[in-house]
Amino acid sequence: MFEGIAQGFQVAFSWEAILFIFIGVFVGTIIGMIPGLGPISAIAIMIPVTYSMDPTIALVMMAGVYYGSMYGGSTSSILLNAPGVAGTVAASFDGYPMAQQGKAGKALAISAIASFVGGTVSVILLMLFAPVLASVAIIFGPPEYFALMLLGLTAIASLSEGSTIKALISAVLGFMIVTIGIDAQTGTSRFTFGSVNLLDGVDFLVIALGVCAIAEVCFLILNRKQKLSGLHNIGSLKLTKEDFKEMKGPMTRQSFIGFILGVLPGAGATISSFVAYISEKKMAKNPEEFGKGSIKGLTAPETANNAATSGAFVPLLSLGIPGSGTTAVMLGAFLVLGVQPGPLLMTENPTVFWGIIVSMYLGNVFLLILNLPLIPYFVKILKVPRPLLISLVIISSLIGVYAVSFSTFDLYLLVVFGIIGYLMRIFAFPAAPFILAFILGGMMENALRQSLTISGGSWDIFFTSPLTLSLFALTIIAIVVPAWRDRVKRRKGKDTPLGL
Amino acid sequence: MKLTVNKGLSLVLLVIAASYLFMAYNLPEYAFVPVDADLIPKLLGFALVILSICFFFSKDIDTEEQKKKRVIKKKEAGMLLGVMVLILLYITVLEVVGFVIMTAAFIIVCTRFLGYQNWIATISTAVIFSVGAYALFNYGLAIRLPAGILPF
Repeated sequence: MFEGIAQGFQVAFSWEAILFIFIGVFVGTIIGMIPGLGPISAIAIMIPVTYSMDPTIALVMMAGVYYGSMYGGSTSSILLNAPGVAGTVAASFDGYPMAQQGKAGKALAISAIASFVGGTVSVILLMLFAPVLASVAIIFGPPEYFALMLLGLTAIASLSEGSTIKALISAVLGFMIVTIGIDAQTGTSRFTFGSVNLLDGVDFLVIALGVCAIAEVCFLILNRKQKLSGLHNIGSLKLTKEDFKEMKGPMTRQSFIGFILGVLPGAGATISSFVAYISEKKMAKNPEEFGKGSIKGLTAPETANNAATSGAFVPLLSLGIPGSGTTAVMLGAFLVLGVQPGPLLMTENPTVFWGIIVSMYLGNVFLLILNLPLIPYFVKILKVPRPLLISLVIISSLIGVYAVSFSTFDLYLLVVFGIIGYLMRIFAFPAAPFILAFILGGMMENALRQSLTISGGSWDIFFTSPLTLSLFALTIIAIVVPAWRDRVKRRKGKDTPLGL
Repeated sequence: MKLTVNKGLSLVLLVIAASYLFMAYNLPEYAFVPVDADLIPKLLGFALVILSICFFFSKDIDTEEQKKKRVIKKKEAGMLLGVMVLILLYITVLEVVGFVIMTAAFIIVCTRFLGYQNWIATISTAVIFSVGAYALFNYGLAIRLPAGILPF
């Protein structure tokens, strides 16, 4: 393991990696700041740029894009009360009131420092846990993998905002899309309607950019005249000793809690940031200050969502299974570069495995040194006229898809999925289960068919191993508990975010 | 009986599930494979049928926020459609005319269409972005974007 870590340091501290981590964090922050665009769009837009790069360097950069965009999202949450993604909503509860009080600079500095601490602590935990999980996962066979992926999918569907049933429908629809194309095992062409262009199936970038970026563009168009307030005075970035004292508690606690929630399938940044906010509020001596610009109220979700970001890399790197929409797109980036994450990655490709992990330390440092002095300049991005921004986002999405497939057919498909994503949004069907199901779908089908091939067609194979049975039991709990929670919530007539 | 939005949606989903199942049952069968290509599609089709039925009878409330999201003024709907037409036009002639010209043209026309008046900012952004992206992809990343009618 130490040899691997040393290799990781060698990769991460090469000038090439340093440069690309910097670029990744920088570009991620900028894309994340655009209201509506989050890490999924940021990673998807950047994928074509990585094509001719060394896979390790490319993935190190993508990790930078990921947490850069998380921080960028917090910036627009704090300054505009316009969170780009659900994971940064909680940051606006106290961040925006602070900005309104003329303390935007302070809020952004708190956010940067909390993100840094959350990110760094959780990278240490990632370093400890990912290899352990990878060594356990080596014993997993196809039935265990199938059960695990099913759990991941139902967990994200259950933990999504709003109705569980809509989230499950969204997941099934995403899974259906992945069945389009030639079946790898039998050569049967499925649901292609005779089109040659569909034989290879739908590219995941078409889905990620269509359902996220293009769908969001529709809302940007509709809200393009929205006035931006609170952007004039950023105020000082300096934090006092008292401020740090107040931040210390939430940063320590939420780094660990955020990491654990990030590791769990389906939970991720959104849940961890809300849990962080609510738990700190309950623990606080003066909870009435929460929502009015409390330092603790901002520190907690910012620490937790960054900690969860690294936590989410644990299942991705060690099992090869993403637990969220964003890590699903990350997995897509891995596969595009010919790297298969999973239990064997650490032994077969230690440079990639450790390179990514070690680079996260650097990424977090860059996040801090880049963001603190550049905050006043970053804020100017938010002043770019919306019509211009919209045109640029559309073109970036189109280039993203074209550079992968060189096919205008895929661009038409992108528009179709943009419309589907928009309809899903207005009818409140969450996009994350759709994307995750699309990415996991192919792997799940393979695992199911491999299992049934091993057993000669008998379904008993899924009910003999205690591990598979426990995973199925957790899957049932993941469906039943939130459905019951929805029912109770409706009876009480209360509607709190995520039911927490 | 007047259908609620969610009940209407569940019926649409049922139709999708039924059509998908119909196609799944018409997939060719292979005798010598233990698990055929139609297994997962059939499972998914039935899963969607069950979920649609549950959705039909569920008490999922259509929130005010959701209703507000669906109300679009005619002018704004025209804007959405207009941008979509521009995108479709861009896609259709991209390979013929070329990336640089089409991208610059799209940014200028789309930005102006959405109501931004500053021509200098729009044109300079359009030119810098399209030439910059073309140079980055073609010369930096070795990904050939269509040159079209331009010689380089």
